[in-house]
Amino acid sequence: MSAGASIASGLGLLAAFALFGGIFTRRARLLVRLIRMGRPSGIERADDVPDRLRQEAVVVLGQRKLFQKLVPGLMHAFIFWGFMVLLPTIVIAMIGIVDRDSTLPWLGHQGWFALLVDVFVVLVLVGVAIALYIRKVVKPNRFEGSHLGEADLILAWITGIVTTLLLWHAARIALGLNEYDAGWAPLANALSGIFGDGDVTEALERVLVWAHLLLILGFLAYLPHSKHLHIFTAAVNVYFARTRARGRLEPLRFDEDVPEEEMRFGIGTVEDLTWKQMVDSMSCTECGRCQEVCPAWATGKTLSPKLVIMGVRDHLFAEGPLALAARESGEAYDGPPVAATDDLEAMAWDCVTCGACVRECPVNIEHVDHILDLRRHLVMVESRFPSEAEPMLRDVERQSNPWGNPQAERAAWADGLGVRVLQPGEPAPEVLYWVGCAASFDERARTSAQSTAKLLQAAGVDFAILGPREACNGDPARRMGNEYVFQAYAQQNVETLDDAGVRKIVASCPHCFNTLANEYPDFGGNYEVVHHTEMLAELVREGRLAPAATEQTITYHDSCYLARHNDVLDQPRELAAAVGRPIEMERSGKRTFCCGAGGAHMWMEERAKPINEERVREAAATGAETLAVACPFCTVMLDDGVQSTGADMRVADVATLLAEAVEASTADASANGRPRPAAQPPDDGEAER
Amino acid sequence: MVLVFVEHAGGEPDELSLQALTFARAYAGGAPVEAVMAGPGAADAAPALGDHGVATVNVAEIDGGFAPQAVGRAVAELAGRLSPAAVIAAGSDRGNEVLAHAAVMTGGVLAANCIAATPGEPAEVTRMRWGGSLLEEARLHGATRLMTVAPHAVGIEPAPGDAPAVEPFAPELRDEDLVVQVTEHVDTSTGGLSLADAPVVVSGGRGVGSAEGFAPIEELAELLGAAVGCSRAVTSAGWRPHTDQVGQTGTKISPELYIPCGISGATQHMAGCKGAKKILAINSDPEASILASADYAVLGDVAEIVPAITAELRRAREAAAS
Repeated sequence: MSAGASIASGLGLLAAFALFGGIFTRRARLLVRLIRMGRPSGIERADDVPDRLRQEAVVVLGQRKLFQKLVPGLMHAFIFWGFMVLLPTIVIAMIGIVDRDSTLPWLGHQGWFALLVDVFVVLVLVGVAIALYIRKVVKPNRFEGSHLGEADLILAWITGIVTTLLLWHAARIALGLNEYDAGWAPLANALSGIFGDGDVTEALERVLVWAHLLLILGFLAYLPHSKHLHIFTAAVNVYFARTRARGRLEPLRFDEDVPEEEMRFGIGTVEDLTWKQMVDSMSCTECGRCQEVCPAWATGKTLSPKLVIMGVRDHLFAEGPLALAARESGEAYDGPPVAATDDLEAMAWDCVTCGACVRECPVNIEHVDHILDLRRHLVMVESRFPSEAEPMLRDVERQSNPWGNPQAERAAWADGLGVRVLQPGEPAPEVLYWVGCAASFDERARTSAQSTAKLLQAAGVDFAILGPREACNGDPARRMGNEYVFQAYAQQNVETLDDAGVRKIVASCPHCFNTLANEYPDFGGNYEVVHHTEMLAELVREGRLAPAATEQTITYHDSCYLARHNDVLDQPRELAAAVGRPIEMERSGKRTFCCGAGGAHMWMEERAKPINEERVREAAATGAETLAVACPFCTVMLDDGVQSTGADMRVADVATLLAEAVEASTADASANGRPRPAAQPPDDGEAER
Repeated sequence: MVLVFVEHAGGEPDELSLQALTFARAYAGGAPVEAVMAGPGAADAAPALGDHGVATVNVAEIDGGFAPQAVGRAVAELAGRLSPAAVIAAGSDRGNEVLAHAAVMTGGVLAANCIAATPGEPAEVTRMRWGGSLLEEARLHGATRLMTVAPHAVGIEPAPGDAPAVEPFAPELRDEDLVVQVTEHVDTSTGGLSLADAPVVVSGGRGVGSAEGFAPIEELAELLGAAVGCSRAVTSAGWRPHTDQVGQTGTKISPELYIPCGISGATQHMAGCKGAKKILAINSDPEASILASADYAVLGDVAEIVPAITAELRRAREAAAS
């Protein structure tokens, strides 16, 4: 190339950079300013650096969550890895524009790199083909509500970028400009045959490299204006996602140390969004995997977690700039509530906080935080919530339990069992049994508490209950959005537990368990907390409980707050295997499907199809005789579901099944004069993790 | 002295107002309690207040039905004349509206939806906020203190006494006081018998089997002057509207007699009928948890038992009539 042509090309390149870079920078600046306007997140997001780096490696580079769906996972991984590999070709193209006889030192001369580029160009095209097949032929429901046209445009753009790259390489080979042996790039080499070696090809080589680079620069400028923004934000979002205690909600601070302007009552206007919620919304690719696993969506409710995040993003982009402008001019921003966008308010009340969306999301968006913050504002500021939940909130506040039963009767379930009720001033037991409101007061759930108590006695565990000093842990109020009432109970219960000198707690309800273990540390309560299934499994393993297994077939329903939020998967299965023959449901372990009671839905009316019936039908399809549960709310919901669907199954807590098996074993032993061995411990189910 | 605004209908004082009277007597702590009533039929309902510790009933003569601002004017005028320690009303829509007007007119302070109050300087009240999701402790300063009592926060405790003196008065109304008036009264389809206030409630659960299965239950209810309720399972199945649901997430009832038919007695349901004085359960399942809460129980098929009770009631009434 002549020096003049090189200078002209270089200037053209600079002009293109100025134009597209300017568009990109302008948008990027706005996004950064928005995120900087965001409120602080209520939980630490900068600690645990090794864990966060591991997340980057596994979730971003390794694409692990995308591979939860094999074919779409391959589609994305091909394109993603392809672009990672092809990144240096951008520099190579820029050098080639200025001087077609030069290339990147060293790498541009490597035959293996040329091969890699060739291979990944093909893989990217295969990825695009798979994407088109999924979008145009399969058309899964998860895309309902997504911007489909935008996705098509992006796929076309990607195709253009890699096709121009491939053809540019082919043209260079035709002109003999390749710095590597053409045999290394079999596809480009084969395609070089379509070009001659005359002036036309010379001109085409210029056109192709310019087209390639302009497509890339244009893409770069377009990205931050589109859902493809995730290319920049997803890695950030994954890095700052929760590394521990996924069931822990961000606490709001109301204490006197907090200046009033820093207090936050959930999401009112755009100014109340945390920076993490903003990055969440900017990371959404509208893939709809969350929607696909959402129990509310699956049963015809308004809620789709995807539409929540898209709604937050639409609101952020519409109102955020206005809020920024108001701040700059020193005025108060007075915009519309976020909940008024689309159906966000209705959606917020449909959520069962099961966390399936969060688990499924390939970019670690934390949908439940958005939904809970919307509720918090609606309840605490606007006092707008489904009216049927009002008695629950009042009863929790006044009677310390959600049904308004007399607190004095809290230990009535244990009458005649000889369970020690810990009195003030008495020495703490080795383990405190935290019974919870449901197992204390609900007829069906009580059986589980009684069974657990009998088993702990049989195993010789030193335990006691708090009786009337135990109060609601506050979870129903908190998940409803009433953070005030929750925090009052958190403080009260922590005080009671600390005064009693409690160190270890066994909880029978996964919701109590999650709150005590993951949320009370925010209020100064630090205890070793286990769920009853964990403790009972340990007692069986140690031989302190010897159940006699029967032939009954059992399918175990994972509670969201045990399995998904707290990784308790194996122990309940060990127990099920120790008493009968387990069969797995289609959706089990961390991919379990909610019973419908979570997120305070135990105390709300269900609109559209019942979630519990959906789950019972799945359980019944296994043909199991027994539907084993480990949560008092699952017990009630699924038992109701069995009755309304007419399924032929018995719903029972694994503790109840274990108590029966231990009793049978004892009776058997006394009849035969010898004890039966405990059942073999089953496989630990590691595969599910 | 404490002044209570008492609502009435059909010649009877309203139940929520009687709750407000019980609340007011506790607040008065032995001081006299006077009532103020307004509207047609007030004089008929006034004597019944003797059984609730009222010495004097002031009846405001106001033409034209509801007219909340006019009634507010009457209450304000009376408060100005009598200087009561507090003006109290039921936390009904009407009670809240009337006292709100009266508070503005007297320049007093109003606390709505109270569930407890202690007189003093200042007076202290506990009141329900945010649709009942939060309790607020508040202090009332100022000369005129007005409160409305949250519905069903206080049980009615009669205090039998002499018939009260009835003192009619004509408040000085202004033209604007009569701008809002009732022009028409339309009864609800249930014939005015609401689930929350009915003395007897007959409810059906999943055991009733179908929407049609409620016919015998409705028949029995009509005979007993009872309201018909149902369990959550029934509204979920679409057999009855949600307004009929008794329970935690439906209506909380406190009848003299509750007859749950084919209802297992889930905690969610029992939370709604804890206030029932007596429970007669009809159920085919001897293990049903409702039996633990019931005072009486009939074990058997609802479809047989309920019509049998209806037939027996009819027979007994006919025998008594002849």
